[in-house]
Amino acid sequence: MAAFLRSKCSPVGRTLMGSLGNSLFGAANSSVGAITRPSHCDAISQQIRTFIQMRTNLKVVDNSGAKRVMCIQSLRGKKGARLGDMIIGSVKEAQPRGKVKKGDVVYGVVVRAAMKKGRSDGSEVQFDDNAVVLVNKKGELIGTRVFGPVPHELRKKKHLKILALAEHIV
Amino acid sequence: MAAASAITAVSGVVLPQTFLSHRSPPPQVLAVASSFHRLSLCASHRRITHIIPRADASAEAGEPEPVTTSAESEEEVAEGSVAVAEAEEPTPPSKPKVKFGEIIGILNKQFIEEAEKVKTVPDLRPGDIIELRMQRPNKRRLSLFKGIIIAKHKAGVHTTIRVRRIIAGVGVEITFPVYSPRIKEITVIRHKKVRRAKLYYLKDKLPRFSTFK
Repeated sequence: MAAFLRSKCSPVGRTLMGSLGNSLFGAANSSVGAITRPSHCDAISQQIRTFIQMRTNLKVVDNSGAKRVMCIQSLRGKKGARLGDMIIGSVKEAQPRGKVKKGDVVYGVVVRAAMKKGRSDGSEVQFDDNAVVLVNKKGELIGTRVFGPVPHELRKKKHLKILALAEHIV
Repeated sequence: MAAASAITAVSGVVLPQTFLSHRSPPPQVLAVASSFHRLSLCASHRRITHIIPRADASAEAGEPEPVTTSAESEEEVAEGSVAVAEAEEPTPPSKPKVKFGEIIGILNKQFIEEAEKVKTVPDLRPGDIIELRMQRPNKRRLSLFKGIIIAKHKAGVHTTIRVRRIIAGVGVEITFPVYSPRIKEITVIRHKKVRRAKLYYLKDKLPRFSTFK
C-alpha cells in the first residue's frame, strides 16, 4: 500500500511516504519478532547441555547479592561439574549492597543443570538453566533463601540446608 | 675365500661371502641344518595311549553267554532292522530354532503383561497432559508430577516418556520409565492437539505453554 502511494506522489511526498512506510514496516517486523521469539527464551534455546566447566556462566538463585557467576574451576571430575557438585566461580554481576561484590572468587553448589542426570529408579532429570547457590569453603550457605526448584539428589550430597530452604523439591 | 671357508669350518658360522660365490649353500650349512632337524625330531613329545580292556557285567557275574545258531541270528537281525525302520518313520519335523532377538521380544511381552497386572498403563502420546504418582525411595507418601509429554521412546519394557513442566519459572524435564514399579499411577488429564512426535520446540516457546495448574 505504501509503495503504491509512493509511486503516485510527488518527489517530496514520495520521500515522506518512504520514511513513513519504512518506519511502519520496521515497527511491524519488530513487534512480530517480539511475539514469536521472546527475548528471555534466547538463552534457553542457546543452552549447551553439557558439563559445567571453565567459563560456564551460571545463574545465582539465592539472596547472597550475586546475580551471575562464571565457573573458573570444577571441584569434581575431569570433565566438569554436574548436578550437586561444587565449583569455584568469579562473580560477574552483582546487586548493590549485597554480601558479595563483582570480582569476588566464591564457592558454589550446582542446584540446577541443563545436562541430564540419571536417578536410581531409571528416571532422568534436566532443567532449562544452570543455577548455583553460593557457599563458603566449609559448605555453609552465604544467603538465607533459595529460589526455584532443586532436585532431591542434594540429600545424598549432604546439602540438607539447601533442601530445607528450597521452594520446590523435584 | 679360503679364509672364509676356514672360519666356517672352525666356528660353524657362515659368512655372506660364501653365499656370493656359490649358488647352492655349502655342505657345512647343510650339515648344521640337518643336525638341527634331527634335534627337533628328538625333542618332539609323543603321547602314549593305553588301551584298557573292560569286562562285561555278565562276564563278571560268571554267567555263560548264550550261544545262538547262525540262522536264528540272521532272523533276529532282520527283525531288528524292521523295528528300526518303523521307529524312524513317525519322527515329527524339527521345530524352527528361536533366535535370540525373538527371545528378548517374548520376555519383553511377559514383563509388560506382569506390569499391567499391577497397574493399567493408558495409551500415552506426545501432547498428553498427564499426572504421575510415584513413590520416592524411603518415603511413604506418593509424590505427584504433572506435565506434558514431549517425547516417547518405545523400547518394550524399557519404554520411556519425557514430561515437561514449568516449576517456579524454571523448565523441568523428567524422563520416566512407563513400566517402572516406582510409578504407581498415570492419569491422562487431557490431550493437546499437536502435529509432531517430539515437542522440543516448547523449550523456545513462552512458559505458559508448559505451565499446568
